[in-house]
Amino acid sequence: MFDYDFMRHAFIAGTIVALMCGAIGVFVMARGLSFITHSFAHIGFSGASLSVFMGWDPLIGMLLFTTGSAVAIGQMGVKWFRREASISVVLSVFLGLGILFLSLSSQTAAFTTTLLFGSVVGIAMKDVWALSILTAVILCLLALGYRPLKFDTFDPVGAKAAGLPVRYISMGFLVILSIAVAETVQIVGALLVFALMTIPASAARHFTQSVFRMMVVSSCLAVLGVWIGLTLSYLTNAPVSFYITAFEAVIYFLSLGWYRYRERALGTAEAREAG
Amino acid sequence: MPMIRDFVIDNLEVHVGGQKLFDHLSFTVVPGEMLGIIGPNGAGKSTLLKAILGLITPQSGTITVHGDHGKAVFGYVPQVRAIDEEMPIQTKDFVSLGLPLKLRPWLTRSEREKLRKVMALTRISHLAKKPIGKLSGGERQRAFLAQALVREPDVLLLDESTANLDPGAQEQMMALVHDLNKKKNTTVLFVSHDLTLVSKYAHRVLYLSRQRSAIGQTADMLNGNVLANLYAQDASSLKQDRSSTSAV
Repeated sequence: MFDYDFMRHAFIAGTIVALMCGAIGVFVMARGLSFITHSFAHIGFSGASLSVFMGWDPLIGMLLFTTGSAVAIGQMGVKWFRREASISVVLSVFLGLGILFLSLSSQTAAFTTTLLFGSVVGIAMKDVWALSILTAVILCLLALGYRPLKFDTFDPVGAKAAGLPVRYISMGFLVILSIAVAETVQIVGALLVFALMTIPASAARHFTQSVFRMMVVSSCLAVLGVWIGLTLSYLTNAPVSFYITAFEAVIYFLSLGWYRYRERALGTAEAREAG
Repeated sequence: MPMIRDFVIDNLEVHVGGQKLFDHLSFTVVPGEMLGIIGPNGAGKSTLLKAILGLITPQSGTITVHGDHGKAVFGYVPQVRAIDEEMPIQTKDFVSLGLPLKLRPWLTRSEREKLRKVMALTRISHLAKKPIGKLSGGERQRAFLAQALVREPDVLLLDESTANLDPGAQEQMMALVHDLNKKKNTTVLFVSHDLTLVSKYAHRVLYLSRQRSAIGQTADMLNGNVLANLYAQDASSLKQDRSSTSAV
């Protein structure tokens, strides 16, 4: 399997993106931004389509659109954007725009499929470098802003009272998220960004209560999902995205079961102690 | 030792929802004192604390608070803080949020030591690994207090922080704050409807209502006649307001 360049590139790119998604996903879930993440993916899709139409690298259009919208959402306030109606309108408009740009360009339907569902095995070495640099930047920003971001995420009232610039923290995180989404779209596609960005983090919440450990567990689960997905895809010729989402879903439900079992066991032990 | 140099509220006027809450409110907080804030509901007691924290911009007037090293550090414990019951973050992690912010993700040995001491002081050491969402009301308030204390505040603002607690837990929390005030000279402003707690712990009392405000020594302010007079005046103004409204 590793004799092929495309498989080596896929493993490196997939691992890099999964590490980042796992870490950032903990904050996505805790800040209730999963649907904004999904919206960014659609916005990125139309950005990539515009790039194709203009003859640019798709990543440039994706980054332009997603970071632009992150700043706009930050300005308007996340609460406004979280409204169901706002999300529906934005998702529809940007998907429509994407389709328009693609219909205007000379690209075939295969390119649309790649954008929507990803193509990890089509990653070239220059893409691996671009992903590595972006991931390094994101992880560094996340490390530098970890403490204020954690404060604002888990105790927004306390953060505001402590005088933290909560508006800038929120906007900064949205920009980081938008770059992360633009990267991830290339691996799992616009429709499945959800899988890597939210499921491993949701499962990690069931295994540990320390934020840092949650990030580590979430990243490990995301990387494991990508490795298993790539291996099974290579062996069976079925899409990688399917295996990644299926694996992450199984892990999530197992973690949920484990969490419920542990809660019940703890409850019984506490009742026994009290009684 | 945290200490403020000056704390002056001068001619403060704050409007909330188009309504004027304070009409040129002025008073000075004595460094190291425990100031109890009482008054009827809707008088603006919580708003005053939020204005001090800078969360609300006054229409006019100034709030000047200087600590020993320039800008004063505040600790704030509200009555209710929205906490997701399913929040998985452990109590130790939650308390550590209050530590002064640094551009490094890890805690140093001295920060961990500070955290340990504050958790011991607020008697939540045994809850360190329990998720904050699973704590009882009293335990949670102590965790909020620990988070406020870990930043070593010059001024501690308590907004009915004991209101949801049983009498034993109320007493325990206020005794803790009082101890801190005595040992570390931390200035404390606490809003409360419980006059027994106010009379026991406040050095001075600020009475606040939409019509008037008064400040004085606890014994003088909580004297039956003075207090009855203040509340009665506000009750009668309110009655007049209502009757004039209904007349219109």
